[in-house]
Amino acid sequence: MILLSASDFAIEELTRAYNQTRTDYLIPMPMNPGRLQEYILLYDVALDRSKVAIEGDNIVGLGMLGKRKGMGWITRLGVLPDGRRRGVGGAILDALLTEAHGCGLPDVWLEVIHGNGPAHELFHKFQFRETRELIVARRPPRTARNMSIVKDARQIRYLQHDEVLELHCRRKERMNWLSSVETMHNVRRLANFSPDDEAGYLQHELAHLSGIIVEFSDGARGWVSFQATTLQLKRICVEVLRGDPVRTTAGLLELLHRLHSSQDAVVENIPDDAAWPGYKEAGYFEVFRRIEMVRESVTE
Amino acid sequence: MCHDRLMKTILQIEDNFANRRLVERVLEPYSYRLINAIDGQSGIDTALMEAPDLILLDMGLPDMDGQTLVSVLRETPSLAKVPIIALTAWPESIAGEMALRYGCDGCITKPINVAEFGKQIEVYLSR
Repeated sequence: MILLSASDFAIEELTRAYNQTRTDYLIPMPMNPGRLQEYILLYDVALDRSKVAIEGDNIVGLGMLGKRKGMGWITRLGVLPDGRRRGVGGAILDALLTEAHGCGLPDVWLEVIHGNGPAHELFHKFQFRETRELIVARRPPRTARNMSIVKDARQIRYLQHDEVLELHCRRKERMNWLSSVETMHNVRRLANFSPDDEAGYLQHELAHLSGIIVEFSDGARGWVSFQATTLQLKRICVEVLRGDPVRTTAGLLELLHRLHSSQDAVVENIPDDAAWPGYKEAGYFEVFRRIEMVRESVTE
Repeated sequence: MCHDRLMKTILQIEDNFANRRLVERVLEPYSYRLINAIDGQSGIDTALMEAPDLILLDMGLPDMDGQTLVSVLRETPSLAKVPIIALTAWPESIAGEMALRYGCDGCITKPINVAEFGKQIEVYLSR
């Protein structure tokens, strides 16, 4: 088996290989080339530092490395069914960690789906430790909920993309890679991305963030930001600035969904903290959990 | 397009060739008219053109989430009442709740039970 740089491969080849690694996965999430390209742009995946494992003429596995200031992120790591139980995953992971080290990234993060025992075990073997559990949740359109919270909104101000970014920059909570300020900055990069139709990129994608900042009659205050596409609301982030976290979160989300009642909504990698019951109150339900892990720099 | 009006049309939206083929083979003896779409966008287009009697929907599609697709189909007046059966490899507990919340009429987990699948589809079509 040899490991090659992922930048030596066409996006279509990487997509095909990635989908094959996930055919029998716990939560299969296939992509098309457009979606993978979007993922690479949004999450700062460095294809020249990412790896593809080859045996003969066949791809047997792959793994990608995201790079941000002082931090690496391992993602899309997977081995095709025929390549399993032969150390391919470990070899790719080792190579990605070497790349991260070479780029001067002391901390490397990743997420593993709750219940994916073999992957979790592999990450422990490479000195990753758990930091927290993250929830992926959804809310179908037109879910009728508690509208009384909405009536309590005293003042609503609509936020433009740059204002949303400013709020993200000021957040105190440590965000996961997917919802960090760097990801939010990258949303604009999608506007400059002009894939061909065959790549399957959703042409109705709108490359900007929107938001609302709300004051409630009981003095609670908070904001919610999101990326709205024709069919879906994504990259939803809530911050409660003042007041009860559950009630305020629920109120902000209710308002958001009143404005965008026909779209399906998905929140990814939110922590299981005091605000989560507010999401549930606004009609979200948990789909699955990921375990966030980190491998901090080891002094040699 | 000319086809027997009594013959029920099933639209299968599934990106994986092997899974599509398996459903085709299992349903062969039932004389349904089975048509395929390989992603969400072509699934919507085909559903609008063919007005199927039943939609078998893989929840993990490469271009859009199956849940989003169900939402679109449910919002489309001509398709709002077409039974949608979610086909998914997700754990049964998640899959069941997901299907219910999104307004699917049922959920069948993968791998499909080859001996039971045809009968399951018959039941959904007869409702």
